[in-house]
Amino acid sequence: MAIEELRAITQRCQALQEDAFNGEDFDLFQSAGQRCLEEGHIAQALEIFQDEKNKVIIRCMGWNLVGPLVRCIRCYPQQSEKQEACLRILDQMVQLCNPKELLLGLLEQVEDACGEDISPVISLLLQPLQTVLMKLGDKKAYSVGLALSTLVNRISTLPVPYSKDQIQQDPHGLCRCCSSLVTFAKPFVAEVVKRQEHSKELKSELLKFCFSCLKYPLLRAHLDQIPKDTEEHSLWLFATDILDFLWLLGEPLSKVFLQQGSTPHALDEQDLSQDDVLYCEDSRACLAYLLFVHYIGMNYFPLVFSPSFLLQCNMTHIEMLLKRMEESMLSKGLDLFENCLLRVEDNSLLHQYLEIKSFLSVPEDLVKVMILCPIEHLRKKSFKILQLYIDKLNAEGKYKLFRCLLKTSNHSGTEGYIIQNIKNQIDLSLKTGYGRKWFSGQRLIPLLHTVLSLPEGVETDLLQNSDRIMAALNLLRYLIIKDPEYENQTEIWTELSRIERDFLKPLRMGLNMSKAHYEAKISSTKQDRRESHIKTICTITAGGKTLPNMTPEMQLQVLQSALFTFDLIESVLVRVEELIEVKGKVMTEEQIGSNEDI
Amino acid sequence: MAAAGERARAWTNEQLKSEDLPKKEIIKFLQEQGSDSFLAEHKLLGNIKNVAKTAKKDQLIAAYNQLFEKKCFKSTVNVDNVSEKLMNVKIDDDKKPKESKPEETVQEGPPKYIKSILKKGDKINFPKKGDTVHCWYTGMLENGTVFDSNVQASSKKKKAAKPLNFKVGVGKVIRGWDEALLTMSKGEKARLEIESEWAYGKKGLPDGKIPPNAKLIFEVELVDIE
Repeated sequence: MAIEELRAITQRCQALQEDAFNGEDFDLFQSAGQRCLEEGHIAQALEIFQDEKNKVIIRCMGWNLVGPLVRCIRCYPQQSEKQEACLRILDQMVQLCNPKELLLGLLEQVEDACGEDISPVISLLLQPLQTVLMKLGDKKAYSVGLALSTLVNRISTLPVPYSKDQIQQDPHGLCRCCSSLVTFAKPFVAEVVKRQEHSKELKSELLKFCFSCLKYPLLRAHLDQIPKDTEEHSLWLFATDILDFLWLLGEPLSKVFLQQGSTPHALDEQDLSQDDVLYCEDSRACLAYLLFVHYIGMNYFPLVFSPSFLLQCNMTHIEMLLKRMEESMLSKGLDLFENCLLRVEDNSLLHQYLEIKSFLSVPEDLVKVMILCPIEHLRKKSFKILQLYIDKLNAEGKYKLFRCLLKTSNHSGTEGYIIQNIKNQIDLSLKTGYGRKWFSGQRLIPLLHTVLSLPEGVETDLLQNSDRIMAALNLLRYLIIKDPEYENQTEIWTELSRIERDFLKPLRMGLNMSKAHYEAKISSTKQDRRESHIKTICTITAGGKTLPNMTPEMQLQVLQSALFTFDLIESVLVRVEELIEVKGKVMTEEQIGSNEDI
Repeated sequence: MAAAGERARAWTNEQLKSEDLPKKEIIKFLQEQGSDSFLAEHKLLGNIKNVAKTAKKDQLIAAYNQLFEKKCFKSTVNVDNVSEKLMNVKIDDDKKPKESKPEETVQEGPPKYIKSILKKGDKINFPKKGDTVHCWYTGMLENGTVFDSNVQASSKKKKAAKPLNFKVGVGKVIRGWDEALLTMSKGEKARLEIESEWAYGKKGLPDGKIPPNAKLIFEVELVDIE
C-alpha cells in the first residue's frame, strides 16, 4: 500500500519542476515514505531513492525521512539485509539531499537520542554528518560549531566509567563516542591548519569544542584508574588528540595556561566570546592536570618556566578543584598540587608567595579535605601533600603558614600535627641554625603562646582537644630539655611564668575537674548496671538507621578510655612540671653557689 | 581587600613634625605597614636603628605620606609584584654577605651561566625587569639531545609557530634565563650554558626530559621587547 503511494507521488513529481512542488507533495512524500519504512518495504524504498529520475525529489524532500530511517536502522539486526538497505538509503540521502536541511534532520536525531541510544545513534550518524558538513564549503563554520555542540551536549549526559572494569568495558559507550568525535573533527582541524587566516570562525568553533571536551568528559574521567599497561585506552588517546588539536589550531598551550594570571579570562579575546568564559575555568584546570600530571601535551609546552612560577599558575586550578565534592575533581586537584610541589626544591618556596591568596587558602582547603572528605584515600593523600607543602616553604613561609593554620583549622588533630611540625623546625634551628630567625627568640614567642594555651581556659574540653594538648606538652617538654636555661635560645625560660599561668595551671585544674567528673560518671554507670536500669538518653542514627543503644558495658568502656586519655595528658604534664622544678632548682643552686664564691 | 584602602593614619602632620615623635616610631610603622618593594624604594628595609641613623625625618614623613597616597601596603601587592619582590629580596641577600654564606660563594665561585653571542643585537634596546620579551629558542642537554624548541625545522610549519613571550626578570622562568635575557639586546642571538643550579637543579623535571643536576644549553634569539 504505502509503497504504491510513494511510487505514485514520486512519479507525479518527476514531471514537475523543483519550484512547482507544493506543501501537499511534501506531506504525501513524507507520510508514504515513513509508512513504507515502517512496514518494511526497504528494498523498494531504496529503489526509489536510487532512481536517477527521482534525484531532484530526493534533494528537496528526502531529508524529511531521516527520522523514520534512523529508527528503522536501529530496529533491524546488525548487518541484516534490511539494515544494509537502510544504510544505503541514508547514503543516498547524504549524496543527494540539500546539505543544510539534511544537517538539521541529522542533528535532530542526535538531539532526540537519550540514554542507551546515544552512543549507537552518534556512531551511526557521525560519518554522514561529517560528509554533509564538508559539502557546505566555506560557510560551514557555524554548522560545524552547531554539530559539535549538539554532539558534546549529548555525550555529556553519558556517565563516565568509574571502576577499572567499567573503564575497560565502556558500558555506556562514552569512550567509543569520544574516539569517533576525534575522527569526526579531524578534517575540520586540518582545514584550519591548511587555510590559517581564512578560517578564523571555524578555528573558534573548534577551540570551543576542545575546551568543552576538557570540561566533559575529561575533567570527570578517572584517568588515574586506567591501568598503566593500557596506555592506548581510548580516553587517553582522546585527551592526547584534544591537546594535539589545541596545538594544531595554533593555540600554544603555554599561552592558554599562562595568561590566566594577569587577565583571568583572556584566552584569546577574538576567539572566545563571553559565554565561553563559563567553562574556561574547568577546562583550564583539566588542561593543567593533563599537562603536569600525565605529561600529555608536554611536548608542546616550553621547558623554561621556573617551578615556583608553575606552582603559582596552577594554584588557581588547584583551589577550584579542591573546593569540589566529586572524587574525580578532588583527586585531580590533589594530584596537580602534588606534582607541582614535587618540582620545587625543599625550603625554596619564598614566603612572599603566601601574600597571594591561594597560597594560604589552598592549604586550608587541603585541611578540610583531610578531615571532612568521606573518601579515605583522598584524606590520606591530602595529609601527605600538606607535609610536602610545608617542606617546600622557606623558614619564614613555614612560620606564617603554621600561624595561619593554627588559627583556621579548628581541628585538634590538625593543630597537633602543626605543633609537631613547629617542634621539628625548632629542632632544626637549634641543631643547624636553619631558620633561626623564625624558630627561636623573639619571633618564636608569639607562636609558642598560641600553641601553649587552652582555647577556653579551665573549661576547655580536654578530650576534644587532647591531640593538640598532647602535642603542645610534648613541645614544651622538648624545649625544656633541649634548650637549657643558660642558653635560652628559644627564650622559653623567659616566658615560663606566663606559660605556667596561661597553660599549665589551667590544664592541671581542668584535668582534676574532668577526672573527677568522669570517675563519678563511671561509678554511677556501674551503679546503674547493678540495678540493671537502662535509661535511654538519646538515640543516634547513622545513614537513616537507628543505632542500638549503648549497653552499660560500652558506656563504661568509653568513659574508661576518656580517663586513659586524661592519664596520658597528666603523665606528660607531671613530667614537664618536674623538669621545670628540677631545672629551676639547679639554677637557683648555681646562683647561690656563684654568690657564695663572691 | 577592602581594608587596605581604609588604613588609618597613625599621626597627623603636626604630630609627625613634632619632636615628641621619634624617627624609630615612624620607621617601625612603615616597616609594619609598607610593602617590601615600597620599603626597598625608600631604603627603609633592615634594622630600625640603622635606618634611623641614615634616614632624615623629612624623608620619613615624605615616605609616610606616600605610603597612604600610593597605598603601597603589605597585602595589596598583586601577583606580578610579588615576583618582582622576590627579585628584590634576592638582591638584598646578595648585598648582605653576613646573612648567608652560600651567597658569598656564589660571588666567588664559577659563573652560573656562560653566554656566547652568535649574532649581535642592536646594542640599544635591552629589556628591563618586567618587560615582555619574545624569543625563539632551542634547549639541549649536554649530550646534544634537544628537549624543547619553538623553532620549527621546516619553513612550512614556521608560520604556525610563534615566539615565546614572557615577563623577564621576575622569576617566571629559570634563573639562568632571567639573568641572561637581561644582558641581551634586541635581535641578539646567543648560546647559553646554564649550570643546573640556575636551571632545574637537583630535581630535574619529573617527566624525565631533564635529568637531575643537568647543565642546560640554550640557543636563544631575542626578537622583540615590549
